[in-house]
Amino acid sequence: MKDTHMQNSKISAKGVQVYYGDNHAIKDVDVEIADKTVTAFIGPSGCGKSTFLRCLNRMNDTIDICRVTGEIKIDNEDIYNPKVDPVQLRAKVGMVFQKPNPFPKSIYDNVAYGPKIHGLARNKAELDEIVENALRKAALWNEAKDRLNSPGTGLSGGQQQRLCIARAIATAPEILLMDEPCSALDPIATAQVEELIDELRQSFSVVIVTHSMQQAARVSQKTAFFHLGNLVEYDDTTKIFTNPENPRTESYISGRIG
Amino acid sequence: MLPLYVPLIVSALLAVFGFMIASRRAVSVSGGDARTLSSLPRQYGLNTALSVIIPTSVAVLIGLMVSSLGSLLPWIVLAVAIFGFAYSIARITPEFRARRYAEAWIKLVLIAASAVAILTTIGIVLSMLFETRHFFAQYDWKAFFFSTEWSPNFRGNSALGIIPLLWGTFYISLIALAFAVPIGLFAAIYLSEYASRRMRSVAKPAIEILAGIPTIVYGLFALITVGPFLRDHFSQPMGFGDSASSVMTAGLVMGVMLIPFVSSLSDDIINAVPQAMRDGSLGLGATKSETIRQVVIPAALPGIVGAILLAASRAIGETMIVVLGAGAAARMSMNPFEAMTTVTVKIVSQLTGDTDFASPETLVAFALGLTLFAITLMLNVLALYIVRKYREQYE
Amino acid sequence: MTHKSLLKVDARTKKRNAAEKRFKTYGFAAIIVSMLALVTLLTSVIGTGASAFKQTYATVTVQLPEDKLDKSGVRDIDVMKKVTTIGYAKILNQGLTDTVAATGIATELSTKDIGGMLSKEAAATIRDHILANPDLIGQEVTLDLLMNGRTDGYFKGRVTMESAALDSNTSPEELALAQALADADIVHTKFNWAFLTNPDASDQRPEAAGLGVAILGSLYMMIIVLVVSLPIGVAASIYLEEFAPKNRWTDLIEVNISNLAAVPSIVYGILGLAIFINFMEFNQSSPLVGGLVLSLMTLPRIIIPARAALKSVPPSIRDAALGVGASKMQSLFHHVLPLAAPGILTGVIIGLGQALGETAPLLLIGMVAFVREYPAAYTPDAGLFGEASTALPVQVFNWTQRADPGFVERASGAIITLLIFLLIMNAVTIFLRRKFERRW
Repeated sequence: MKDTHMQNSKISAKGVQVYYGDNHAIKDVDVEIADKTVTAFIGPSGCGKSTFLRCLNRMNDTIDICRVTGEIKIDNEDIYNPKVDPVQLRAKVGMVFQKPNPFPKSIYDNVAYGPKIHGLARNKAELDEIVENALRKAALWNEAKDRLNSPGTGLSGGQQQRLCIARAIATAPEILLMDEPCSALDPIATAQVEELIDELRQSFSVVIVTHSMQQAARVSQKTAFFHLGNLVEYDDTTKIFTNPENPRTESYISGRIG
Repeated sequence: MLPLYVPLIVSALLAVFGFMIASRRAVSVSGGDARTLSSLPRQYGLNTALSVIIPTSVAVLIGLMVSSLGSLLPWIVLAVAIFGFAYSIARITPEFRARRYAEAWIKLVLIAASAVAILTTIGIVLSMLFETRHFFAQYDWKAFFFSTEWSPNFRGNSALGIIPLLWGTFYISLIALAFAVPIGLFAAIYLSEYASRRMRSVAKPAIEILAGIPTIVYGLFALITVGPFLRDHFSQPMGFGDSASSVMTAGLVMGVMLIPFVSSLSDDIINAVPQAMRDGSLGLGATKSETIRQVVIPAALPGIVGAILLAASRAIGETMIVVLGAGAAARMSMNPFEAMTTVTVKIVSQLTGDTDFASPETLVAFALGLTLFAITLMLNVLALYIVRKYREQYE
Repeated sequence: MTHKSLLKVDARTKKRNAAEKRFKTYGFAAIIVSMLALVTLLTSVIGTGASAFKQTYATVTVQLPEDKLDKSGVRDIDVMKKVTTIGYAKILNQGLTDTVAATGIATELSTKDIGGMLSKEAAATIRDHILANPDLIGQEVTLDLLMNGRTDGYFKGRVTMESAALDSNTSPEELALAQALADADIVHTKFNWAFLTNPDASDQRPEAAGLGVAILGSLYMMIIVLVVSLPIGVAASIYLEEFAPKNRWTDLIEVNISNLAAVPSIVYGILGLAIFINFMEFNQSSPLVGGLVLSLMTLPRIIIPARAALKSVPPSIRDAALGVGASKMQSLFHHVLPLAAPGILTGVIIGLGQALGETAPLLLIGMVAFVREYPAAYTPDAGLFGEASTALPVQVFNWTQRADPGFVERASGAIITLLIFLLIMNAVTIFLRRKFERRW
């Protein structure tokens, strides 16, 4: 793999292995993820891309049989250091899931949930401001401002997913992980979310897992191709899609595997 | 007079021989080639057997209820059996679709079986309404529902107000729920969200054992252990009274009884909350307890409310624990260490021993029973409705 | 944006983690409280009741004088029957006094007091023995006879010298003598089979009270519940699960069944009293009425798990049978029902267990009566299961209402017996589940 020189590396992983019980799910993955960039993880289903994503905010901790070794550093701090509290880590590394999963609360309370538990607002006015900003950044403010008190579950699928993005943004993370955020959405909603992702790059480092190569090509600057638990190739998105180095990547891009 | 078992034996024999005769006859009408029949020979047999058994059983059941038939009943049963036998044999032709008819008989039995549940409810309501009417013919209904005095007197002139009984019932149920709901709920949360697999494999069956213990055992526990303990260590030293049976005794023991009930219902309900909801919260950096308190519980709330209503219905209808633990004195007091009594205790005491079904002191038990049934019915139906709606939401 | 180090846990996170720990502790405490309640309940009942399975007897040598027991002198049973238990009690008093004297134990107690240490039941025991063996008259017999409840209680630790001093039914001297007799091997304790076989006994003689009638009554009722509610329950669940159209009517049946499962059990007692006893005029206290009431109560509790078991049989099995031209009925009885059987059976046994422990409805239909005769399953007069009986849990309740403290031990002992029956039934369900559990 070509060593891309990165001045602004945000996440740096070295020799990461993940085991689910006896199953070796991630094999020796090294990767450097840049700040203020959209990085896409692509690959056939079961290749480990989602598993690796869930290592970056230690969501795998919630699964009993999952074991992670190797080193993952964010801002040069090892996040698997026993001193690190995953709760604090996850405030810094937000996550958006495959299926929109708004809480059974009002739109306002959905967004305010994170800031409240992390104590980001000193008073109601500050909280209101955080909520408004998050909803604006998630391009949901105009649709939601008049119905902040109606339940989040009453929104359409695409709106729900943007609500989940707003909810993640509201905790002021530095990194945003997105696990196939558009797979449950229709094409119009997908387009809206993709547009949003591009804007989010201004403020966050975004890592997105996607099963759609077109989507990776549209939204990301960097692309990593995973296959059978290995990181096969990692480079600029344009390079991956036009001139991949590895024949396996080429097969996947051209639709022969996956 | 013909004893009833004679036609019963005859119809049993007719059923058995009917099966064999009909099967043979089916083969013989087919001219020896069973393949020309529209059904298998044994299905002809089955139809005949059922044509005997089912009408006879119906005749016997009706006859037992309508006692005016008297000595005629055995003859009627006999006639029904013979007719069923003869008619079904006469109909055997190669074209006769015996399987259809046999299956229709079976379906009839299945429908009748599920009607038993409806009949039970009707029986409960009618039998209590009937006697309650007798009661209200002798005793003013306003005094029953609104009087705060309960002092039955078998020489007449009783005061039969339900209010003190309801007071005791609700006071005890409240203590029981106050004890069982937090413990049951926390136990369910701990078991489904925190406990290791090994811990679960020990604690879950242990809690289920509590559910399998008959209430008489809890009653005895209240009587010989909890009551004296509370009296000696709480109520007497603190000057609350010296009765071993008390609202507190019955309430605590009933609370123990309800723990498994609350915890297993809540466990089902908490597990119905989708994992995605938990992941969403954990992904935002919430701790497990924050996730449970602020996401899982609010999401499961309707179901939990349903579970609590069902538990309340159980507490209100519970009998043996209060009979042995609460006492018999109809009293309205705030002191939980005093003996009080409940609706169920009074139903038992008014209906056991020598009872005279003409006196209001006995008949009041039916009015109490009907009130109890109405209260629990409302709670049950409301709870079932809420739980059902809740489940549909996540299906 | 300022970077906060992840390696330092900030104050707020510390606080939140403390809250997390507290929350988890509450959950753990709830488990502990439940377990503690279970352990206390079981130890209290078993601790009080275990001694009911042991009983104190005295080996007494008695002279059987002909002039007192058979005035006819020709062993005419009718004449012999004229001697009541009071007459036998006198002989026993003398017999035990002689036995004491033979061991050389000195006592200042009167013959009457010494004889009083035996159970009032002992006289009846020896009378029955003599009437059955008239040839023994004029001889000397040695018999194991029941000691009274207080003396028995002394050997079980329930009665002490201090409590005996305040008790009109015994005295420290009697207990001292009992102890001396025990040291001389005349008084001894052995396993109490009679507790499981004897009928109930009157207020004065807890030491003779047994569960025989109650166990028989419970057994009869369980037979009725099984015969009535198993077929009806299975048939109803088959109809509701496989045939019933989805409409308001079946919806009503469904709500109705769920409600019936949650109706207070005492309401079924009222139903039984009104319908079976007052209207249909079946015998009061009879296992027939008790069994029918329990059947109605158990029915919804069988239907619900039976439907779940039928539902869990995958549709592919039905489709496969229908696909080869079987009728719906055939696919059901040949394929679906056998596969659902273990689940249905488990539900049935759990339902039976609940019926076995149920008390309240039986109180209302008169099963709390004092019954000393073993009920027959059938008599021409009373009909099938028509003779008065009692039941295990009702016997427990009955004993809790007695004045003599000896009955507390009996009640707890009865509960142990009841729990053992339930344990066996549960073991059977676990066995069934293990043996027949299928996965698709």
